[in-house]
Amino acid sequence: MRSRLSDLAARLDGLYEFDREPVAEGKLQPWTKFAGMFAGEHVAATEFVIGAFFVLHGVTVRDLLFGLLLGNLLAVLSWTFVCAPIAVRTRLTLYWYVRKIAGPGVMVVYNAANAVLYCILAGAMIAVSATAIGLAFFIPSPRLTDVLPTSWAWVLIVFVLGALFTLLAILGFEKLSRFAQITSPWIFAVFIAGAVASLPKLGVRPDLSNLAFVARTQVWNGIAVAGQEKFGFWHILFFAWFCNLAMHIGLSDMAVFRYAKRWTYGFLSAFGMYPGHMLAWVASGIMVAAVGREMNPGLMAFGAAGYAGVGALLLAGWTTANPTLYRAGLALQSITPNWPRWKTTLAAGAATTVLACFPVVFMKLLDYVALYGLVLMPVGAIVFAEHWILPKFGLETCRAEKRGWVVNPAVLAVWAGTLAFVFLLPLHLYFKWLPGYLLALASYTGLAALGRKTPAGERG
Amino acid sequence: MRRKLYAVFSLLSLAFCLVFPVRFFLGGFSVERYKWGLIFASLSWFIFAPLWASTPKDKPRR
Repeated sequence: MRSRLSDLAARLDGLYEFDREPVAEGKLQPWTKFAGMFAGEHVAATEFVIGAFFVLHGVTVRDLLFGLLLGNLLAVLSWTFVCAPIAVRTRLTLYWYVRKIAGPGVMVVYNAANAVLYCILAGAMIAVSATAIGLAFFIPSPRLTDVLPTSWAWVLIVFVLGALFTLLAILGFEKLSRFAQITSPWIFAVFIAGAVASLPKLGVRPDLSNLAFVARTQVWNGIAVAGQEKFGFWHILFFAWFCNLAMHIGLSDMAVFRYAKRWTYGFLSAFGMYPGHMLAWVASGIMVAAVGREMNPGLMAFGAAGYAGVGALLLAGWTTANPTLYRAGLALQSITPNWPRWKTTLAAGAATTVLACFPVVFMKLLDYVALYGLVLMPVGAIVFAEHWILPKFGLETCRAEKRGWVVNPAVLAVWAGTLAFVFLLPLHLYFKWLPGYLLALASYTGLAALGRKTPAGERG
Repeated sequence: MRRKLYAVFSLLSLAFCLVFPVRFFLGGFSVERYKWGLIFASLSWFIFAPLWASTPKDKPRR
């Protein structure tokens, strides 16, 4: 078992080999790159669904605006004060830093978990895009309560789209990444165009004199649709905060910020949060209200912006599913018997396409986003404790690297223990991560204090 | 020089993607005109933006 794990770990190391060394001074990037990257990454197909769900969950205007303002601010501060400082000090990816702390065996588990989570996320994006194609062929989209595939025609559309997205992910990841940079400003413009063009349908007068009234009564009227839970300020605040939990608190974006000249570049995440996770969500809320609160992203996009809207929905799904499929393929590569990249991407694409057939992957998207962050969050807490807290108490850090361990049992215990704790915690899913994070910090520090002391020379 | 020209056309295309819905909202355009306008502005963006992105920056003269 141990040798099998070591073998897997060695292959995993090979995949990430080019990231092994800290980023050199000459490779650091200007702040404009970070602003552009964040602005481009946070206008995805799922934005069409998230903003619309807030309307269906009966959020009021005040709760929505204050919740999004503060929640996104907390997300920006998490990138700035949690993720960016560690990335700038170590200049390492999360992969190599966790490997030093937890051992290569834990990275195999982490990568496998990531691959599964990425596949589900890409599946949601394919399903959202499929609603646009379904509209053209008069195939009814799944309803809010649907869990299983609703028709063979729906399955066929999903399979065609899934095959296309997978093929493109295999053929040209680099080229498509560049294409994605071109599409994102346009997708954002179509979001805004769709929202503005939906206003007359909702009865907003051209002088905007009744805009606040319409927003209060027709869009975010505080009444949840049947079968949907009522959301308030705290739901919105926590959702906006944890929407990218794996990236900021979970520290995945160390891979990005290790190229930053200063930790203050974390503030540039605001370029993604406020246009993408605020304006785009508000825009999709307006669009769903204009189609009678029907959760059908294709119908919303077509009704608000015509064929350009349908194109935006397809491209948003395609350009965001592509890197997700690629990453899932990369994560899978380590746990397969030396499969080439195309084969693992194909396997990830096939799994993703099957998942996308089940409407539940996008009808329960908000809950899935919460779970995604929750599963990976304890690893971020462990790294934070290793980087900032353990040295303060004079405790030994990076024990797996120093002792040549394949697995640091304390890391696995804290990860599993935290997940068990949050599962049992009698709180709403959205609020579970914060107590879980604090528990992971405290328990990892406690375990470290129980089991080790720093050699005298390492202090100070 | 060409790069600047592509940049101007790209940004104008993006601006028109927003001008058409605003004109529709203000009652200046019909819904069909707005949607066709958005399609043309979008096509224009996808013509000029890749050219803008792929044209190298002019080197400063010595």
